[in-house]
Amino acid sequence: MGYDYIRPASLEQALSLAAQGESALIAGGTDLLVALHKKKRPAPGRLISIRSLPELAGIRDEGARLRIGAAVPLADLLAHPAQARLPALAKALGVMGSRQIRNVATLGGTLCNASPGADAAPPLLALGAGVELAGPAGRRTLDLAEFFRGPGRTALQPGEIMTAVLVPWPGAGTQSHFLRRSRVAMDIATVSLAACFGLTNNRLSGVRLAAGAVAPVPLRLRATETFLEGKALTDETLAEAAKLARADVAPISDLRGTAWYRRELVGVFLARALRAGNGGKP
Amino acid sequence: MSNPHFVGVETARPDAADKVSGRTQYIHDLAVPGMLWGAIRFSDHAHARIKHVDTSAAEKLPGVEAVITGYNTPEVRIGFVRDNFALKRDKVRQFRDEIAAVAARDPETARAAAALVRVEYEPLPGVFSLQEALAPGAVLVHETDAKGRPRKDNLVPVRFAHHSGDLEAGKRASKHIVEGEYRVPLIQQSCMGTAGCIASFDTRGNLTLIAKTQIPFLAQKDFNRALGALGLEGRNTRVVVPALGGGFGTGLDTHAYEYIAMLLAWRTGRPVKILYNREEEFAYLSPRQSATARIRQGCDANGKLTFREIEVTQDNGAYTSWGATFPSVMLVPATSLYRVQNISFESKIVYTNNTYCQAMRGYGNPEITWPIESSMDELAELAGLDPVEMRLLNSNQPGETTPMGLKITTCGLQECLERTAAGLNWKENRGKRRNVKRGFGLAGLINVAGGGKIYRSDGSGIILKPDDYGNVNVSYGGVEMGQGLHSVLALTIADTLGVRPEQVIVNQTDTSTCPWDVGTHASRGAFMACNAAVMAARKLKARLLEWAEEIFPVEVEEALAKARKHPGFKEPDFDWRGNCRPGCFELSDGILTIKGAPAVPELQVDFARLLRAIHFRRQGGGTTFAEEAFYEPPTELPDWEKGIGNMSATYAFGAQGVEVEVDEDTGEVKILRLVAAHDVGRVLNPQTLKGQIYGGLAQGIGYALYEEVLTDKGRILNPGFTDYKLPTAVEMGFPIDVQLVQTNDPEGPFGAKGVGEPGLVPTAPAIANAVYDAVGVRIRELPITPEKVLKALQEKRRR
Repeated sequence: MGYDYIRPASLEQALSLAAQGESALIAGGTDLLVALHKKKRPAPGRLISIRSLPELAGIRDEGARLRIGAAVPLADLLAHPAQARLPALAKALGVMGSRQIRNVATLGGTLCNASPGADAAPPLLALGAGVELAGPAGRRTLDLAEFFRGPGRTALQPGEIMTAVLVPWPGAGTQSHFLRRSRVAMDIATVSLAACFGLTNNRLSGVRLAAGAVAPVPLRLRATETFLEGKALTDETLAEAAKLARADVAPISDLRGTAWYRRELVGVFLARALRAGNGGKP
Repeated sequence: MSNPHFVGVETARPDAADKVSGRTQYIHDLAVPGMLWGAIRFSDHAHARIKHVDTSAAEKLPGVEAVITGYNTPEVRIGFVRDNFALKRDKVRQFRDEIAAVAARDPETARAAAALVRVEYEPLPGVFSLQEALAPGAVLVHETDAKGRPRKDNLVPVRFAHHSGDLEAGKRASKHIVEGEYRVPLIQQSCMGTAGCIASFDTRGNLTLIAKTQIPFLAQKDFNRALGALGLEGRNTRVVVPALGGGFGTGLDTHAYEYIAMLLAWRTGRPVKILYNREEEFAYLSPRQSATARIRQGCDANGKLTFREIEVTQDNGAYTSWGATFPSVMLVPATSLYRVQNISFESKIVYTNNTYCQAMRGYGNPEITWPIESSMDELAELAGLDPVEMRLLNSNQPGETTPMGLKITTCGLQECLERTAAGLNWKENRGKRRNVKRGFGLAGLINVAGGGKIYRSDGSGIILKPDDYGNVNVSYGGVEMGQGLHSVLALTIADTLGVRPEQVIVNQTDTSTCPWDVGTHASRGAFMACNAAVMAARKLKARLLEWAEEIFPVEVEEALAKARKHPGFKEPDFDWRGNCRPGCFELSDGILTIKGAPAVPELQVDFARLLRAIHFRRQGGGTTFAEEAFYEPPTELPDWEKGIGNMSATYAFGAQGVEVEVDEDTGEVKILRLVAAHDVGRVLNPQTLKGQIYGGLAQGIGYALYEEVLTDKGRILNPGFTDYKLPTAVEMGFPIDVQLVQTNDPEGPFGAKGVGEPGLVPTAPAIANAVYDAVGVRIRELPITPEKVLKALQEKRRR
């Protein structure tokens, strides 16, 4: 089974090709090619490679935020000095696939694939990241929390291409943690959770929480965040927060775990992430 | 062979470099000229009547050469109770039932055509659990037996049982009794190389089958019978075994796909290859069956075992293969792991509409060691004994005969238990690390290690054929499937004959050139092959040394005559002429000399030169050599209904112990270190031996913690490694301490016992016992998933 494979030289060219329809965008291809091979999605007329587009390349410190080109391979991001300031994201990237996969899989690709369990999503959500989209109607940016619409579904309009992921630098004193469980190594997550927060005099501030594989989309745990904001970090707070977090999510039972177990783990991971704020083991 | 210098020495296996550099040819790499590709149309229902099969659309697809069904081919019955057919007619009983097959110019066309076969069904209710299948009035998977007689239940017609001593007296003598129900899941053998074959016919109707098999000669028998069904009585099947990417029991029976390749080859007159991909391997090959075992055992006030009572029920799936005979092997640990009198063992094998099951490494032993060794720990706790003490108190000893009639010759169980415990600092650690959620657990094992007699002959033949260049070509009917058989054969022959291992060349297994062997299973490969090799090598050596009496003086005189031309040559100070007798010769490292002779080249005859001198003898005619031997171990075919018979020439023992850490919040079990002490008789090649144990441990850990084929009403839900999880290098990243206990078995080649299976036998109960030690919950159902542990912990907290 073959496909036409087109490699446009510029974003402009890519957009005009994408606007013609009957095609699929391909960056690293680690999700797309498997899906095509296993006939889990209809064969497109042609593949448009956006892997080498200069507009989608590079990692750039823009002062208040980090701009990561959508076609940047995960391995490149992991090797970039910026990852030292984003430990939760680095931890998530480090468990994605194998080294070989990380060498080709791109950050934009994993987000556009919109798997509920995408490991990069919870830390980016907790960091308050946005995405930059280019389309026939021009460019727009969107909060990542608005981008995911369902399993495999995103806010991308026909003909639109994700060009960058925008990560605001965490403020001084902000911590970030990522916890995850899978059946064995190199496996899709059963549950993942990321937390960003500040902790001064045992008081929580700027709490942002996100979880993966526990709902149709990677999602922020808003009710839990609201509850925790300004609270003292005590056992009672943690117990109540765990309860809220379990209510914030809507997991299903599948081959990787039951809904019951996923809810249990969301609570456990939340408590551990927050305890890590006081030097506990995450 | 008094001082072996290759046996026991760490030696790289002969196939290693070709395997790592990609030169080894597996079934995936093979093609023969004119070959077509076969594909199979499998059932869409777990249980249904076939109303109509329409192959017309498939036949019309360009590139298709033949479409066959059960209606347009002769009936080929398969399986040892003949309850299965190569192609199904009338009824399907599982999702993987073969309804039609296609031969086409390439695999894509074949698969596309198979999908175009239209099948009309009348769906039937099915039975998918032991309870459903055993319920009164349950739907029958088979309405009649192989002879057409009506059946009244879903029990497979096989019986394995054992009753000895006085069970009730044993119970009365018990101070403590434990009871439990234990489950094991359906699991996949997970060979790296998937299944496949190439079938081709000559014009006289003889079949050549290149097959991924562990039983070339029993396969030959099966296929010769199938040739009869084609009207080709008296024609022959030649089975050729390519390099195997793992066997693990998958090759212990012949498979429908192989008969289908045969039928397609016969129909088209062209060679036909069928090759499964990973998803097909999961969906259409036979996994290891799930089973439930109830166990009761007791001990007296001192901890001595008083009785053991076991009932096993296995989900056979829809047809019968060797998996149905797992209880034959369960009998060994059930009656003979630790000293126990008063035994009852009963088994039931149940037809269901699930995938039918087959052999896998360990063959019933891990299934039954799991309840026995879990319950040993429970009993020890009740009796207030340390689990190691409890086991040592009841340990088997050399020289005993067990209730099954197993004659224990050498027995390293006690030493294995002691060394495992020592390796874990048992006394300081066990029961004392619960504060940090760490636990220590251990379990023992017994396994056949000198063949396993399940057939009229459990023998192995071998042919050694030296050539003019000093190579010793070996024809052996057993199968190298990655375990290192060819390595230990080379070392054994090198030492026994007196050549170097690299002079020994083991040929491809082929029924047309190799002597008969029952199959490579039951940890018998090295034990049988090397015993036969020692016999043949001794015969060959004796003949060569007889010839040496004549040849050696001639060759030495010639060498000396040449040497004397050099000025300064000194005659060796040794009476070699007076010592040219077979008893005085020494053949070692491929050099013939006389014992005690100075190491000068003139008094040495190279092995190749000796062979050529005999072959091209100057006067009186020469000869070439081939020596054959057949080793039949001194064992008995058991009476299976009584469960009595010494089925193996020797038995392997062992113990494994682990330290685990349990995460009480998530239920995760992490292995921190593992000690595996195995009574191996004698080490042949430490490298391949440890490889067998490491590989066994990885499978044992997979069985204990990760692996399970999940099904829903007979349909397999996780047919692939995306959702069927084997431990990875990360999960295996803990220190493993392998302790080799050498008991030097009198029947073993150089004292060696079989080691193929023991590595995975006690792993699961050792881990479960450690989990109990860490957090106080006992899991009785494999795999021990975090969910099960967490649930058990929450229940414990609620109590």
